[in-house]
Amino acid sequence: MGRVWARLRSWEGLLLAILVVIVIINIAQSPFYLRLDNQINLLQLSIEKIIIALIMAGIIINGEIDLSVASIMGLAACVLAALYERGVPAPIGIGAGLLVGVLCGAFNGYWVAYVGLPSLAVTLAGLIGYRGLARVLLGDRSIGNFPPWLNALGQQPLVGPFPLALVLFFALVVLAVIVLQRSAFGRYIYVIGINRDVARYSAVKVQRVKMLLYIASGFVSALAGLLLAARLGAVRGNTAEGFELDIITMVLLGGVSIFGGTGTLVGVLLSILIILNLRNGMSLVNITGNTQTGVIGALLILSVLVPNWARAARGALQRRA
Amino acid sequence: MNSIRRLFRPEQIRELSLVLLIGGAVLFFGTQIDGYYSGRTFTRISTGAAILAVVAVGQTLVVLTRNIDLSVGSIVGFTAYFVGTQLAANNAMAPLAALALALGVGAIMGLLNGLLVAYGKIPAIIVTLGTLAIYRSLLVDYSGAKTVTTDSLPKWLVDLSSANVLKIGAIEIRVMVVAALLIVLAFQLALSYLRFGRRLYAIGSNPDAARTAGLPAQRTLLAAYILCGALSGLAGFMFLARFGTITVVAAQGMELQAVAAVVVGGVTTFGGSGTMLGALLGTILINTLEQSLIRWPEISEFWRDAIQGLLILMAVATDAVIVERLRRLWARGDAQARPAPAETARTS
Amino acid sequence: MMSERIVSETPKLTPVLEMRHISKRFDATQALDDVALELYPGEIHALLGENGAGKSTLIKIMTGIHRPDQGEMLLSGQPLAIGSPVEAQAYGIAAIYQEPMVFPDLNVAENIFITHRDTGAVVRWGQLYREAEAILAKLDVKLDVRAQARGLTLAAQQTVEIAKAISLQVRVLIMDEPTASLSAHEAAQLFKLMRTLRDQGVAILFISHRMEEVFALADRITVFRDGKLVSSKPAREVTPEGAIRDMVGRKVEEFFAKRTAERGEVLLAARGLGKSGAFANVSFEVHRGEVLGFAGLIGARRTDVGLALFGIEPADAGEIVFGGQAVQIRSPEQALRLGIAYVTEDRRQLGLSLPMSISANISLPTLRNYLTRLGLIKHSAEVAIAEQYRKRLAIRAPSVAIEAGKLSGGNQQKVMLSKWLNTKPKLLILDEPTRGIDVGAKAEVHQIVNELAAQGMGIILISSDLPEVLAMSDRILVMREGRQMGIFSRAEANQETVMTAAMGQAAGAAAR
Repeated sequence: MGRVWARLRSWEGLLLAILVVIVIINIAQSPFYLRLDNQINLLQLSIEKIIIALIMAGIIINGEIDLSVASIMGLAACVLAALYERGVPAPIGIGAGLLVGVLCGAFNGYWVAYVGLPSLAVTLAGLIGYRGLARVLLGDRSIGNFPPWLNALGQQPLVGPFPLALVLFFALVVLAVIVLQRSAFGRYIYVIGINRDVARYSAVKVQRVKMLLYIASGFVSALAGLLLAARLGAVRGNTAEGFELDIITMVLLGGVSIFGGTGTLVGVLLSILIILNLRNGMSLVNITGNTQTGVIGALLILSVLVPNWARAARGALQRRA
Repeated sequence: MNSIRRLFRPEQIRELSLVLLIGGAVLFFGTQIDGYYSGRTFTRISTGAAILAVVAVGQTLVVLTRNIDLSVGSIVGFTAYFVGTQLAANNAMAPLAALALALGVGAIMGLLNGLLVAYGKIPAIIVTLGTLAIYRSLLVDYSGAKTVTTDSLPKWLVDLSSANVLKIGAIEIRVMVVAALLIVLAFQLALSYLRFGRRLYAIGSNPDAARTAGLPAQRTLLAAYILCGALSGLAGFMFLARFGTITVVAAQGMELQAVAAVVVGGVTTFGGSGTMLGALLGTILINTLEQSLIRWPEISEFWRDAIQGLLILMAVATDAVIVERLRRLWARGDAQARPAPAETARTS
Repeated sequence: MMSERIVSETPKLTPVLEMRHISKRFDATQALDDVALELYPGEIHALLGENGAGKSTLIKIMTGIHRPDQGEMLLSGQPLAIGSPVEAQAYGIAAIYQEPMVFPDLNVAENIFITHRDTGAVVRWGQLYREAEAILAKLDVKLDVRAQARGLTLAAQQTVEIAKAISLQVRVLIMDEPTASLSAHEAAQLFKLMRTLRDQGVAILFISHRMEEVFALADRITVFRDGKLVSSKPAREVTPEGAIRDMVGRKVEEFFAKRTAERGEVLLAARGLGKSGAFANVSFEVHRGEVLGFAGLIGARRTDVGLALFGIEPADAGEIVFGGQAVQIRSPEQALRLGIAYVTEDRRQLGLSLPMSISANISLPTLRNYLTRLGLIKHSAEVAIAEQYRKRLAIRAPSVAIEAGKLSGGNQQKVMLSKWLNTKPKLLILDEPTRGIDVGAKAEVHQIVNELAAQGMGIILISSDLPEVLAMSDRILVMREGRQMGIFSRAEANQETVMTAAMGQAAGAAAR
């Protein structure tokens, strides 16, 4: 494990260095940059994606992928909106949204874990299918006018300066770090990601671990979708569309291998901070949101390309020496 | 037994079942939608399928090698918009020059994908997720939020979308449809009879063996991505001709449709297996459902996405469960002819 | 035949391939130290050595995967440098490994010709099939050239690889343990093929751990030890004992430790056990303190019985009584709870999580025992137990934090054993526990098995190494193609009776 750890440490070190550079440049651009409210605002604007990135890290380390997360977000928000529109109280709508998320996750998990279909295909079907259901529920309409307490939960500070979503995020980070790095379940996630046959031959309940991960992913996605609905104050059929790409970028840039088995949450958290601060920095120098997306895309590619080159260069040097 | 087995490979059974599914869908919607059996329905489905089929052909080339190209939607959108603005600015541009421009722009985008995947050794899903975002944001920046409109385009292009090769009664066979069919046919032949085509299968079938056998895996993969990009560029050109009005979100999400068509058509994401014919049938099935559901009064048109998702799932599940079982049955028949079945054939 | 043998043993003046003063170093290990090897056309040259002796490194240098730090290679007297497997192929040097490198989705003919450079851009199927059939006919094998490689047996896939090499006008053919996964019948076919090739003037470098094969086939035997050349002599001047002595560097007096059985009560009884498509009607008992050997050729489906008992591929017929209780074993978790452990034959793919530490591997099936009340892993407890096993089984690693993948085959085997012994099993199923590990480690594994049996554990020993099964087992169950051929007591069992049953000829001994 030594070399893996060394590599990870160096990868995370690189991420940290990049983050520091970005932050310094941003401070030079704006004296208000490091202020707490600006940083909170920064997190708040992408908080739903960030929350999902935590569970996505677990799924990718496990050797799978979940492309359907953004569609589940949208579907859960639409369930809440559609029920609320028909006069169902919001708390029940929230419960229903979470339940739908769990069901969607369980549906994905069933096909991946128990039938053994490739997760890329299953969750691609989910991406299209769940989004379709969301559209069926709301059609072309936009539904808002949620009760004030719901909007307040989404927008106002709850604990100190932090709104609910951030409080939940902090709690989930602690939980995710403990589960992934210290618990038996986390160990199983890695073992299965490295080689699922070895896990099965070691009496690890591979199917159950995968199923639980997908259920968790569905639940967390639904939760994030509801938080998004509360923050935006309105829901449409296309709410959260395309978020999956940003979320996967956060995880992969954090050093989690798309082939599973390696990666840490520290790396993912650093990559989240890099993406957020980079976007903010680009906004400070008036780069449009669209171009920012392109830059993040380039960053994703570079995050794999640069280490590849570095390894090749090191190899070439050693051969010469 | 042997001859039967050779006559019907599992892949062909799948293609047959797709034909039956398409036929079943057409019969069903015929009973549900007034005036369904009309020239207009045929034209709608066939022209819609034509564009997607061209993209699906490119996607198949890449998926056969055990890779994926998620940037095709952005390439289609970019070329459609880019060629559109060039034509709008210069209505006198020769049609072939416009076509070449579309192919060229697509090929360059494919080249970048291919270089990164084949020579940069970055997983395809990461590269093309990245270029999906990059190409789309290039388009948005380039456009300055303006729109290409039909009336700014030269007449030949606008007419192209409704030009027919031939007309049988109410059935019109559009130029674009024939072009798409010819492309499918050409690439099917290339897969079966060109060394390049066989190498695509070989690389997807066993990448390690391809490397040790000294196949030019990187070059072949690069070529697959360039072709996929060029075909997406062509699809962009067709997209422009068909719709005329092009915004910055043109063809957004087409990458998912293309992957869906290919997967439904039996081109497995594990590489090495599948045909252009299958991809075409997958495209037709998806388009038939899409075009028919819009006009089916019984349910909301929004069901079409939900049904498409289910369709992909069904296709993959059949692959895993039924085709695998058939394969095993086939293989077992072979094994019985031999003296000793190998224990190691058991893979878990 | 006789005259051909004489021809092949006549010394030729120029070797087709000559390696001189080859040295290669990886980090701290000197993999090869000034070794030499000469391959003459028309000879089968066996290369022997324990794991880590440098055989694989030499092959990788010959096929262009590695470059030597020092030394030179001569092809027909001309010095050459090989930069890649493709270049090696162009010089007529090809290698065949125990896992054939075929393309499962392509058919046999395509697989044979896939690497040909001169075929043109268009595939002429008719011609391709004709030429493939011609090559297979030259090798005297029957194979449908239009069949997809996916459905072929391993032996047939190897044949395809040999045909590929032939089609490339190969002059040097390297065969790295080609028989490791073949049945006796298939291996015999392969040997016939090797002799045919030799008689056609091909130089074959043959690597095998099976002495019988080496002495039946080889014209010349070279032994490596610790990266150095120990001996290289004509086969008729070498004895098996001498070769083993050269390999291990000491005289191996006692291959298999003798043991005395103290048989306890019945631990597991299987009656009419079956799994469709694999095996049927297998019945036996295992007692505490007993080693029940499972003998048979490859394809006998012994592993499938093991997998059924461990719940990986549950049986669908028959009954199992374990510890006096009728049980149905449906999953590995359940088997584990009952006290059944299965040590797989495939260390790297099924047995160990190679990038993880020794301690994490050992604790994996029993991780539940190392948790705090909150479900977190107690790292110190995990390490402590791993340390115990490291000492007890003499695992050669500086610490249990080392990645399992960095250990030698024998030490990986011991880690796997530790992992399962730590589950405190009542029944231990060992599947090919000594395959591909060196002689010293093999003796240690045998020692451990004997101790475990003496402590009252029931052991099922699945092994294709006949002398091993005979020496280690109290009774031997023989299978052939999914059927039970009989159970032999220690007194009844010998090479002849067991082989006869395994080959499917009328068994003399009655099944019990």
